[in-house]
Amino acid sequence: MSRVISLKSPSFQLIAFCLALSLAFPLWSQPAATVYAIKGAKVYTLAGPAIENGTVVIRDGKIAAVGANIEIPPDAQVIDAAGLEVYPGMFDPVTQIGLNEVGAVSATVDARELGEFNPELIAATAVNPASAHIPVTRASGITEVLAVPGIGGFDSEGGGVITGQASAFNLAGWTMEEMQINRQVAMVINWPSIETRSFDFSTFSFKEKPYAEAKKEYDKSVNELSDWIVRARHYAQAKEKGSPDLFLRDLKLEALVPAVEGKLPVLVVADQARDIRNAVDFCAKQNLKMILASGSESWKVKDLLKEKKIPVILGPTERLPEKQDTPYDKPMTQPAELNAAGIPFAFSSFGTSFSRRLSQYAGTAVGYGLPHDEALKAVMLNAAQIFGLADQLGTLEPGKLANIIVTNGDPLEIQTQVRYLFIKGQLTSTDNRHRDLYEQYRKRPAPTR
Amino acid sequence: MKNRFKFRHAFLIFMVACIVSSINGSHSARALGAAPRYFAITNARIFTGSGAVISSGTVVVAKGLILAVGENVAIPPEAWVIDGKGLTVYPGLIDAGTDLGLPKEEPAESATAGRGRRRAVPSGEIAKGPEDRPGTTPWRVAADEFKTDDKRIETWRNGGFTTALTMPDGGIFPGQATVVDLAGDRQGDYIVKAVATLPISFRPVGNFWAFPDSLMGSIAYIRQVFDDSNWYEQAEPIYAANSTKFERLPYDRTEQLISRELHDKETILLPANNSVQILRALRLADEWKINAVIYGGQQGYVVADAIAAKKTPVLVNLKWPERAKDADPEADQTLRELRFRDRAPSSPAALAKSGVKFAFYSGGLSGPKDILKNARKAIAAGLSPDAALRAFTADSAEILGVSDRMGSIAPGKIANLVVTDGDIFGEKTKVKHVFVDGRWFEIHEEPAAEKPGDHKTDEPPGSPKDMTGGEGVGR
Repeated sequence: MSRVISLKSPSFQLIAFCLALSLAFPLWSQPAATVYAIKGAKVYTLAGPAIENGTVVIRDGKIAAVGANIEIPPDAQVIDAAGLEVYPGMFDPVTQIGLNEVGAVSATVDARELGEFNPELIAATAVNPASAHIPVTRASGITEVLAVPGIGGFDSEGGGVITGQASAFNLAGWTMEEMQINRQVAMVINWPSIETRSFDFSTFSFKEKPYAEAKKEYDKSVNELSDWIVRARHYAQAKEKGSPDLFLRDLKLEALVPAVEGKLPVLVVADQARDIRNAVDFCAKQNLKMILASGSESWKVKDLLKEKKIPVILGPTERLPEKQDTPYDKPMTQPAELNAAGIPFAFSSFGTSFSRRLSQYAGTAVGYGLPHDEALKAVMLNAAQIFGLADQLGTLEPGKLANIIVTNGDPLEIQTQVRYLFIKGQLTSTDNRHRDLYEQYRKRPAPTR
Repeated sequence: MKNRFKFRHAFLIFMVACIVSSINGSHSARALGAAPRYFAITNARIFTGSGAVISSGTVVVAKGLILAVGENVAIPPEAWVIDGKGLTVYPGLIDAGTDLGLPKEEPAESATAGRGRRRAVPSGEIAKGPEDRPGTTPWRVAADEFKTDDKRIETWRNGGFTTALTMPDGGIFPGQATVVDLAGDRQGDYIVKAVATLPISFRPVGNFWAFPDSLMGSIAYIRQVFDDSNWYEQAEPIYAANSTKFERLPYDRTEQLISRELHDKETILLPANNSVQILRALRLADEWKINAVIYGGQQGYVVADAIAAKKTPVLVNLKWPERAKDADPEADQTLRELRFRDRAPSSPAALAKSGVKFAFYSGGLSGPKDILKNARKAIAAGLSPDAALRAFTADSAEILGVSDRMGSIAPGKIANLVVTDGDIFGEKTKVKHVFVDGRWFEIHEEPAAEKPGDHKTDEPPGSPKDMTGGEGVGR
């Protein structure tokens, strides 16, 4: 267990005071209160029907009470949220926030390690808590994310087969120890694909290679992956039985042990139907607890995903379809299809700077048939359930982490603003670099004519 | 003594010929003393290609040319008579686009074009602009590089092809294409028209490092070459008349050659396979004022009328698009690809309907079997067999500028004939005889591949043809 600064300690108050000064947030002009009461709002707990004129009491970073007739504690700082709506904060489960600052500046990118198999890497060790993406993202109502190593996304880089372990953390704080929710949430696997088309840099054009050759390369990758799993299993066995010989510690295998024992889920990135099928078969054979990531052709393998109970982390809905003849709206209708098929899924940005668009991705899916309440769950609750963090996150229930957003409307609506933001029970600034730039250029002198 | 020597000599040739023929399965007459130079194919159905079909007639071949054709034709006493009963005679087929006889590897570029303002850049060197003349060797002539030992020549001939356009490859102006007949004793015998047409490629040659490295770059470059050549044509006589007044013209081999091409209105082959490329080629042909022929033409079904309006002939590539054999079996095939694969064979029918003159070429197909199979696909897609035949004969000869000498069976034409046991486009039809420049080749079936060890031939033992062998009748 990492060292946690007590919320009541003088050091915390000092930090909070400095934070308040530096952010110049009006509510923080005094040392932060640790008890809040949000009253008069419509409260969407996601654990039951919405509560009209409800109250949420936050104490010491956790939700203390939620309901219609809750007594407001005398020590609480009261926020009158009449006309506003209260939701659990949103959860973006596949990002490179903190790992990738400016994609084009390699010195600011720490998203992957060299080599194909790096199970011992833990994203949390590399996350930069001062990333400018964090305030931008939380201002959009996202209160926690996973940092996922080695996954290629819209504005990030990927590579390797086992790329490391994803870490969950809150989007506010000075250090990773303070921010982290769980350092080891999932083992990340980029599923190898049978790819006959490759880019050749010497001629700067695409090259086709024979299927047999591509298949051979694929088989080689999968066999290697298989070897790693088997070795980790042997390692676990040897360790458990306590070999009389001096046991040689292998950090890579040791890191894989929870995954092969089914205690740590594997987050498998695959898009094409064939890749998804192969990955599901592989994980079933190896007894791995699989979570499908990206899965742009999940709609083709719904039965399989349903049968094997594989949850899906979907990528952005606002993108072009993968293939020429895929219906143009497939990325947008797929969430509704998966929902109808009873496959648990969550939305994710698979990005860094565009993590802030998470709610739009869900909103678009609502426009294409996904029920609104399911869309809310798919950005607030489902990811927490899929990654085993639902005891702390995802709903407004007493005892859970107070990651809460107070909005002036439907959070899936693009014009909606986050009026109050609570992360770990602290009222958190929504100031960010975008707003700074907006203010800066708003003040520019009008051109004289 | 002398006779004996002659006999031994002939016997040696005969033996060699026998060995050769036993390898490749083709028999034919060889200079055995007075080998026939006169032939008469009698009682045959004759597609003359220049009139009505003669249901039972005679073709007389004399010294490489067709002497007479008709129902009642006098047979010269010296003619070797072939009974054509049950056989059909067609003009020899022309493959209007091959690389037959040309070495696969790119020939070493040794020619330099002087030390003037411009120089030819050998492939591999870095061209910085059009002045470096990247991928430009229009002085190369396929005839000069033609190798008679290309095994495919015989394969094509045995399948009924007597003539081919053979094109140099590599670069934007790779060189002059040559019309060759597919038989001869020496290289020179093969060449019908050394400088027949000038193929152009739009393929960038810069390989990311040099000019031109894009389609717009190569088109701009070609435009520049034509402009320069036109300039040269005007400037050269002015300088010749005023050599004391003007600075000497820099020597540029490309300009010299291309300006002559343009002046003589030689045909220039522009590559264009899909509809966009075809429309672009038509526009460029107008702009450059060249006598253009399109090669490719597989999406002619979309733009046949536009081609007809410009009266631009088309060489249609018979290598219809199909799925790569080593493709990913699960890879999605796009509707666009499937549609193109489905409709490409209907292009010849569409071109014929719009009145476009077109010819067929093999474009990389492995042999006559595939060529005719793919022609059958065009027929199945609506092309009349007559038009298909013309695309292999008369129309092809016309586009390649050799219609005065070939493409039909008429007196005075080169004796290029193919004799079959049925309709030339029939699936079961076999080629029985081929005449190339009056050289007679009797075609025997290759041993069936599915029954190795069974080497029986159709020929009854002791037939006179067994006595002859070799590669052709000498002159």
